[in-house]
Amino acid sequence: MSRNPNPSRRVGTGLVLALLLAVGAGTWGLARARLQQDRQREARDAVILAAELAELVGRADLEPVAVYSVVQLFAELHPRVAVVRVIDLGAKRLVASTAVADTGDKTAPRRLGLDEKELYDLGQELRAAVETNRREGRSWKPEITVTRRAGRFDAAAPVENAERDGAVVGTVLLEIVAEPAAAGAPWLAALLALAVPMVLFVLLTRWPRWPRQHRRHRRSPERPVLMVTAAGTLLVLAVAVFGLWAIGSLETGARRADEELAARLADEAERSERLLVSLGAADSELDPRRWDVDEYRRPREVGAAAQTEVLGRRLGRLVTWCGGLALALYLFVALGSATRTGHALSHHRRAYAYALPAMISMLVLVYFPFFYGIVLSFTNANIYNTDQPLTEIWVGLDNFGEILGDFDLVEQTAEGPVIDYTSFYWTLGFTVIWTVANVSIGVSVGLLLALILHRKGFALKPIYRVILILPWAMPNYITALIWRGMFHSQFGVVNQAIQILGGSPVSWFDSPGTAFVTVLATNGWLSFPFMMVISLGALQSIPADLYEAARVDGASGWQQLRSITLPSLKPALVPAVILSVIWTFNMFNIIYLVSAGQPAGSTEILITDAYKIAFEQYRYGYAAAYSTVIFLILFGYGVWQNRVTRATEGI
Amino acid sequence: MDNGTRRRWLRHLPLHLVVLLFVVITLYPILWVVTIALSGQQSLAYVDLPADPTIFDRLRAITPWPNEISFENFRSVWADQPFGRWVLNSAVVAGATTILGVFLASTAGYAFSRFRFPGRRAGLMSFLVSQMFPGVLMLVPLYIILVQWLGLGSTWIGLVLVYATIAIPFCVWMLKGYFDTIPKELEESALIDGASAAQVFLRIVLPLAKPAIAVTALFSFMTGWNEFILAATFMDEEIMYTAPVGLRFFVGGYSQQWGYFAAGSLIVSLPVVALFYFLQKYLISGLTAGAVKG
Repeated sequence: MSRNPNPSRRVGTGLVLALLLAVGAGTWGLARARLQQDRQREARDAVILAAELAELVGRADLEPVAVYSVVQLFAELHPRVAVVRVIDLGAKRLVASTAVADTGDKTAPRRLGLDEKELYDLGQELRAAVETNRREGRSWKPEITVTRRAGRFDAAAPVENAERDGAVVGTVLLEIVAEPAAAGAPWLAALLALAVPMVLFVLLTRWPRWPRQHRRHRRSPERPVLMVTAAGTLLVLAVAVFGLWAIGSLETGARRADEELAARLADEAERSERLLVSLGAADSELDPRRWDVDEYRRPREVGAAAQTEVLGRRLGRLVTWCGGLALALYLFVALGSATRTGHALSHHRRAYAYALPAMISMLVLVYFPFFYGIVLSFTNANIYNTDQPLTEIWVGLDNFGEILGDFDLVEQTAEGPVIDYTSFYWTLGFTVIWTVANVSIGVSVGLLLALILHRKGFALKPIYRVILILPWAMPNYITALIWRGMFHSQFGVVNQAIQILGGSPVSWFDSPGTAFVTVLATNGWLSFPFMMVISLGALQSIPADLYEAARVDGASGWQQLRSITLPSLKPALVPAVILSVIWTFNMFNIIYLVSAGQPAGSTEILITDAYKIAFEQYRYGYAAAYSTVIFLILFGYGVWQNRVTRATEGI
Repeated sequence: MDNGTRRRWLRHLPLHLVVLLFVVITLYPILWVVTIALSGQQSLAYVDLPADPTIFDRLRAITPWPNEISFENFRSVWADQPFGRWVLNSAVVAGATTILGVFLASTAGYAFSRFRFPGRRAGLMSFLVSQMFPGVLMLVPLYIILVQWLGLGSTWIGLVLVYATIAIPFCVWMLKGYFDTIPKELEESALIDGASAAQVFLRIVLPLAKPAIAVTALFSFMTGWNEFILAATFMDEEIMYTAPVGLRFFVGGYSQQWGYFAAGSLIVSLPVVALFYFLQKYLISGLTAGAVKG
């Protein structure tokens, strides 16, 4: 098979594809990082403006005439500030407003209308935040809010009264027009990063004149290796240079932004002082650094350059990952694996076409979630940080350490030793006992009934069979809820029956032992028909002459059972037992709906525990690690069973 | 009754007693639910016990027979509760799951049975292994994919896609086992007669595999009709609840509407139990021949 007709074309294709992937991803990442940088800068500007105006309004003491002038002048000096509103929280008044709607009979100052409740609420929220933070002495709640809306920023800041110990008396609300996105995508650099290695590659293949007849007459192994290595080096170099340049360009942008900001702050202070002078209130100096604050109104210690470090690191990671991916793609194409895969695909295209729909849905809805879950197990993902990239919340093997390292099964308390039911090992032990008990009940009851029903000439057999199969047919969540009702401590029939027999009613869900009885009864009830039916089927397939021969040899009924029936049942029963072990191990509905883990989580099995960690404690990462452990246990069991029973041989 | 039959009856009497015991155990919970459903009230106690009950009062209390038969619970759960809507949701979801599930499983089962291609063994084994994936591990990622990425929370489509997919491994294994028993010569002769590959699959293989297809359909339907956790997680809006989530709504937490629950359970169980009896023979032969033995 002439698999590699032209290695240089193959290597070239691989190089182009890989470059497109890596440089494309890098360009996209850089464009996004620049956009974020812009947003951060604009948000920071918005905070400065809000803080500045709040200070000016505070100095004007919320006095309507003075505030009116401040607001008018401020709006004139800052063309980007579209609307300013000042609210007096004590009097529930709109002190000043430059909104178009607030003219005519709605001109400020006036009482706030009902439809302006939102503004008032926002002001109260900020006041509460300031007070909480002061009382607790730390920065809990944001004191300045900046919200990005379509084409503008809404900023709000509290107005403090210096004479009343800085009590929050009002709010300023600003609508600031967003600047059109300044930073575009770095097209030129991307083009260079694509073109340069390609040109170099072409030159390399043409110029040193690889001896052509070599290829034609005997396949020289060094040549493709040399070419593959050379092009691979080009690829790695190009991606590395491009990545370093991208991060550098981000940093340069940030430094420039910082310098501009310092200049702007000085400028702002000067303007504001002029504004105060024109109002005749230039009594004290303004400190512009007090406006450049974070959302908790703490002085911003880090500039744009430091913020960019995070963006840069993220971009670096993206380029590294995509570079690795691109290298893999390159090798895949350049070494001819792609060609071979293509051949296989086209050769077996009917088979793949038939398998495709199922494989795609399995891939998207089973395998991908599974691997994503495994990845989550290495993070401390929870309800608060789902929007963060996984690398930010990576904790390595910590979750597994916490789960498997919890050996304190027994706690010493004042009332003596108490078992810690939330410990992994208790739950594991309970799950194993639960599984073994259930499967034993299922197999023994099922087998017993099957052996009885299979007896020759057993009357009413079809009717018995139809009735006894009923628990299998019932939806198991309904079964679970029914049994929960039957074990009700006051009205449940089980307690009534116990009282008939002279006992006293039992609070079934108050102790681990009795709660275990309830779940066992429920699951036993619904699981024996499966085993019974499997056994009945297998019994029918045992040839009758085996028993005939045994009887002739004088074997007793018991001997026949031991030497003929049970061994013949084994091929059918072993897989059924494997199946039911796995089902029972993960029998979520029964535990969750009957005992719900009561009391104190003692009757929780691993799977319900994992569910509760995920959807009641919202610790997604920890729950994922827990489930991964469950999977590993089952997988180990499956592999071991497979080796012992050879159930999957010959597929 | 002739003599031999009677003798056998007598000989089998102890065994009949054993079986009868299990028949009672099997039937009692179901009769109990029927009784509550027919009692016309919401309480678990369908008989009022006097303050100082005698043994006979108690015996009466555990006898599954209501004081008076009333269909009020059935009427009320249907008319006053959104239960009709929940059953509709379940029916649509289970029906669509059946169609999609049969399509996915029959095509894939055919591929795995008839063709030898790279990745075949890996694919089959991965189906087996996927049966061991704990559902909870996939619940969070599935939630992210379906609800946050695809925006399919509280929709029929989202549940249908998931149900049809989780039924695939069992159905593919079973169908593959069945397809293996259909002689290849049938297809070859059809091909020689000028049938296209698609015609061979649709006109020859599928009709021959009717029993296995029926099991696949039943299994997919039961998956969609009986599933509880995924539906409880994905269906946030009360109007989009499926029947299982709705039934749990009646008696979960602090609500104790056992009458509604009992009536609803019977309504919901009836179709699956009927289907189960209708197709159990195939389900069992599928389990023993196809899925289990490989």
